[in-house]
Amino acid sequence: MTVRRLPELLGPAALVLATALLGLAVSVSLQNYFLDTLVKVSIVVALYVFIGNSGVLSFGHIAFVALGVWTAGVLTVPESQKNAIMPGLAHFLLHTNVGNVASLALAAGVGMLFALIVGLPLMRLSGLAAGIATFAVLEIVNNLLRYWQAIGPGLNAFSSVPQTTGIWQAAIGAFICIAVAYAYQRSRFGRQLRAAREDPAAAAAAGISIYGQRLLAFALSGGLAGLAGGIYVHLLPIEVDNVYLDLTFLTLAMLVVGGAGSLLGAVVGALAVSGLDSFLSAAENGVDVFGWHFDLPTGTSVIVVGTLMAVVLILRPSGLSGGRELSLPRRRPRVPDLPKVRAPT
Amino acid sequence: MAAAAPELERRPGQTLRASSVSRSFAGVEALRAVSLELRRGEVLGLIGPNGAGKSTLVNLLSGFDRPTHGQVLLDGRDVTRWRASRRGRSGLARTFQHSHAFRGLSVRENVEVSALGVGAAPNEASRRADELLGLLGLAGYADAPASALAHGDERRLGVARALATRPRYVLLDEPAAGLPEAEVPAFASVVRSVRDDHGAGVLLIDHNMTLIMEVCDRIQVLDQGETLAEGTPDEIRSNLDVAAAYLGESAVVEEDA
Repeated sequence: MTVRRLPELLGPAALVLATALLGLAVSVSLQNYFLDTLVKVSIVVALYVFIGNSGVLSFGHIAFVALGVWTAGVLTVPESQKNAIMPGLAHFLLHTNVGNVASLALAAGVGMLFALIVGLPLMRLSGLAAGIATFAVLEIVNNLLRYWQAIGPGLNAFSSVPQTTGIWQAAIGAFICIAVAYAYQRSRFGRQLRAAREDPAAAAAAGISIYGQRLLAFALSGGLAGLAGGIYVHLLPIEVDNVYLDLTFLTLAMLVVGGAGSLLGAVVGALAVSGLDSFLSAAENGVDVFGWHFDLPTGTSVIVVGTLMAVVLILRPSGLSGGRELSLPRRRPRVPDLPKVRAPT
Repeated sequence: MAAAAPELERRPGQTLRASSVSRSFAGVEALRAVSLELRRGEVLGLIGPNGAGKSTLVNLLSGFDRPTHGQVLLDGRDVTRWRASRRGRSGLARTFQHSHAFRGLSVRENVEVSALGVGAAPNEASRRADELLGLLGLAGYADAPASALAHGDERRLGVARALATRPRYVLLDEPAAGLPEAEVPAFASVVRSVRDDHGAGVLLIDHNMTLIMEVCDRIQVLDQGETLAEGTPDEIRSNLDVAAAYLGESAVVEEDA
C-alpha cells in the first residue's frame, strides 16, 4: 500500500527536478524563466494544500506570499542601505538582520501565523462567502504593505535584497512544499479534511470538526505561501504589485488547469501554465524561437491564460490531472472471484 | 440517588434522551413534544408512516437540526446546542437515509476516516475498517471507490462508518432499505452484535417490519409528529391504533421508493 503510493510524492518531485536540471542547462537569460517557474510551483502547491484538500476557494493566499516577501526582504536588505530603500522603517527593523535561511524560515512562520489569525474567523464560512472574505484579506494586506512604510518599502521595490535564490534554492523550496503537501494529505488531518470536502454532513456525523481541519490546512498553506514569498524576494526585486491581483489570477489559473484535486495537478498546472505564460510574455516583447519570430500584442499572455482556464473549466473541470495522483498499477486481487461492484453496462 | 428513583434517573450516564422536543418548519409542526429515551444495550425501533417525523427526530438527536422547544440529553448532559461533530466525538453516531458517502474515497478510506474523526490512530482506524467491512459483507469492495457501490451496499457502508466511531449510541436511518429479504437475518445479527458486543444503544428506523420485529427490544411509534404508542414488539403488533396508522398500509410494503 505504501509503496504503491510513492509515485504520489516522487512524481511531482521528479517534475521539479527535471525543471531544475533543464534550468541549469540553458543560458542565463532563459534560466530566469525556470527560476520563476519553480517559485510558481511552490506558490501553487501552497494554494493546493488549502483549496485542493478543503474544496474551498481562496483568493487571499497571495497575501501570505506578500507577507513572506516583506518578512524576508526587510530582514535581509543590508543595514547600510535600509535607510535609502525604506526611509520610514521602524527603528527595531532598521537594525535587525538575519541570514538567508533564517529569513526564509521567518517568512514561512509569519505566513503561517497570519493565516492562522485570519483563519480563526474566516474558516467558519463556506463556499462563495469564504472566497470573498479571503479576497478581502488580500486587499487589506496589500494596502497595509503599500502604505505602511514602518514595515517595508511601501511602493518601492525590494532592491538590494541578496539574490540567494538560484536554481537549487528555488528547487529545494518547491521540494519542501511538495513534501509537506504530501505528508499532510496522507495524514489523519488531511484525510479528514478531504472527507469533509466530499460530504460535510457525513463528516460531521463522524465527529470531524470541519472548522478545525480547515483552519489547520489554511495555516499550513499560509506557511508554505510565506516560504514561497521569501524565496521570491531573494530572486527578484519584488514590489507590492508583483504580489497582488495578477499573481492571484495566474496561480489560481495554474491550479485550475492542472486540477485542484491532486498534488500532481498543482505541479503540472504550475509547470504548464508557467511555460505558456513565460513564452507569451516574452513574445509580447518580440522573441525568436527556432527561426520563427513572434511579436504579440501586449496583454496576450493574460488573455490566453484566462481563456485556457475557462476552457478547462468547461471541458475538463477536474483539470489536466483529472484530480488523480500517480500510483503504481494495482496488484491482481488475491481473491480470484471478487464480486463485481457494478454490473458492466 | 434515592433508591426509589426510577432506574433511568439513577443512571443518567447511560441514555440518549429527547425531552419533549418540538420542531416547526415555517409554522408547520413536524414534531410536537415528543420524548424518546434510548438506553445503552438496547435496540429501540422507531416506526411510523412517511412524514411522521422520524428523520426530524434523528436530526435533532444527532445535532443536524435544533429543536424549537425541548432538550436533547446525552449521558445526562444537555447537548441541545452542541454541533453535530461534537456529538459525534462524544459517542453518538448516525447513518443517513440518503446517500452520504465520501464518494471520491475508497470504501476502506470511508470507514477509516470516520474512525480518525473521533481520534483513533491511523493503525487502529485501518484495523477497524477491516473488521467492519468484514462484518457488513463489504470486504470485497474495500479498494473500490465508494461512488461505485450499489444503493444497498452504500447504506451498509454508512453503518460501517457509524460503527467505526465506536459509538455508545447509534442512530440507523433506514439501513436495510435496498437489502434483499434473504439478507435481512444477517443484518439483524449485525444490529444485535452492536448491542451485545459493544453495549451500544441502537435506534433503528426502518420500514422492513420483519427486521424491526425481529431485532427490537422496544418500539416507539410516531404519527403526525406525536408518539402514538410505545412498547415491546408484541405489544405494538397487537396495538390496533398502530395497525391502522401504519402496519395496515405499510407492513406489506418493503420500502418506500
